[in-house]
Amino acid sequence: MNNTRAIDESTSHGAGVLAACRPIDFEKITLMDALDLATLVEQEAKDRYNEFAHQMTTHHNPDAAGFFLRMIQIESTHELRLTERRRKLFGGTPPNVRREMIFDIEAPEYDEARSNMTVRRALEAALTSEKKAFDFFDAAVQRVKDPGVRELFTELRSEEEEHQGYVVAELAKLPPDPANDGSAYEDEPVAID
Amino acid sequence: MKTLPTVLQTHQAKDYKSDLKPIWCPGCGDFGVLQAIYRSLAAINRPPHEIAFVSGIGCSSRIPGYTTTYGFNSVHGRALPIAQGIKLANPDLLVLVAGGDGDGFSIGGGHVPHAIRRNTDLTYIVMDNQIYGLTKGQLSPTSPRGLITCTSEYGSLEEPVNPLLYVLAYGCGFVAQATPADMPGMTEVIEAAIRYPGFSFVNVQSPCVTFGREEVQVKAHRAQMKSLKSLNHDPTNRLAAMDLAQHYGHELHTGIFYQNPTPPPTLDALVSERKAALNGKGLPRQKIFDLLLQKQ
Repeated sequence: MNNTRAIDESTSHGAGVLAACRPIDFEKITLMDALDLATLVEQEAKDRYNEFAHQMTTHHNPDAAGFFLRMIQIESTHELRLTERRRKLFGGTPPNVRREMIFDIEAPEYDEARSNMTVRRALEAALTSEKKAFDFFDAAVQRVKDPGVRELFTELRSEEEEHQGYVVAELAKLPPDPANDGSAYEDEPVAID
Repeated sequence: MKTLPTVLQTHQAKDYKSDLKPIWCPGCGDFGVLQAIYRSLAAINRPPHEIAFVSGIGCSSRIPGYTTTYGFNSVHGRALPIAQGIKLANPDLLVLVAGGDGDGFSIGGGHVPHAIRRNTDLTYIVMDNQIYGLTKGQLSPTSPRGLITCTSEYGSLEEPVNPLLYVLAYGCGFVAQATPADMPGMTEVIEAAIRYPGFSFVNVQSPCVTFGREEVQVKAHRAQMKSLKSLNHDPTNRLAAMDLAQHYGHELHTGIFYQNPTPPPTLDALVSERKAALNGKGLPRQKIFDLLLQKQ
């Protein structure tokens, strides 16, 4: 029985951005756990974009929904690549890291969505998320001891930087948003004299 | 050196997620609350068929439908009496109750003290957005004084209800507050509330993105929130909890305000005890109804 696991069910080892996955001790994390963690990060982001795409479709905003659908494809590709790598290295060994251990590492926060959001605002939300993921892997790289894990996290950090570049390039292609503070969509209080 | 957990984690958050997709406004705080509930239930590790989720009416009261547990989206303000009935009828069920501030402290306000004094083993999660969102932005019992809404064009003249002080005053054994701005913290307090043996209350400051003010949105919460742990608050000190609770509406304290270190017996436990003491000699239900009818 392995009783020196990096997954501590009882205490928090996280600090700063690493607190987004509370029970994981980054100093002890193994390559298998790191790969599982990275896969879950992509999966969480994909699921959130899926929710956002559904929300936008429900609220008759096909442009923002379309962008979120593209993000689902991107995150799915990353997830599959990591899953395959994990399978080759560790086969079907049961994972120690669970989805419940991570909180919005790359997933955009629910608060980022708005029913009337423009594609620009959707891209900005994605950019914030990519920056968040970069900060996470950057903090993790500083903490980990295992050279294999450090290499993996360094690679993922670079990928997050590339994704930021992609989103920034997409943003540059867009025309500026029309001057509208969203108040046209609100129901203003009406006084009856 | 850490030992492996003794209880095998058999349930995941996704096991509690139903196929029904939430139709809340994008950006609503309730999305985060729902995620925290899924995760807390996974940590509790009870199968969905051993859980009943009861709600009243309002945006947040849609929550039972988004879970795979038993659910009852009941009538406005009446979630607590229904939940108490469910728990007494089947004490083995884990019973959760959810609703908004209007449902809990206005329309159903009269039920809260009685649920607390009876101490039925329930967890009551209020998604407090200080507005009636579903009906398009009227004043709610927790709306701050001066708030301009469609029912208070010149600003509200009323002082808001303080949900934290309210439940503490009635002797609630577990009182906590959370915000979607701190997802790990919210998950932690909801889990602790469910684990508490007795009536537990969690006030979640869950922003209304459509009718809520900017200063109560998630980004503002992130800047304002102060965890009670960071203030070295002792959650077994009820008077200290009441003192902190007075800041509701001015400061955003998160975490456990009060947790009774010696929880009294729950109503469901007392009822089971009474049944055992009567050893089947209690009046049959039909007889009770007959006697009641005769007296009328």
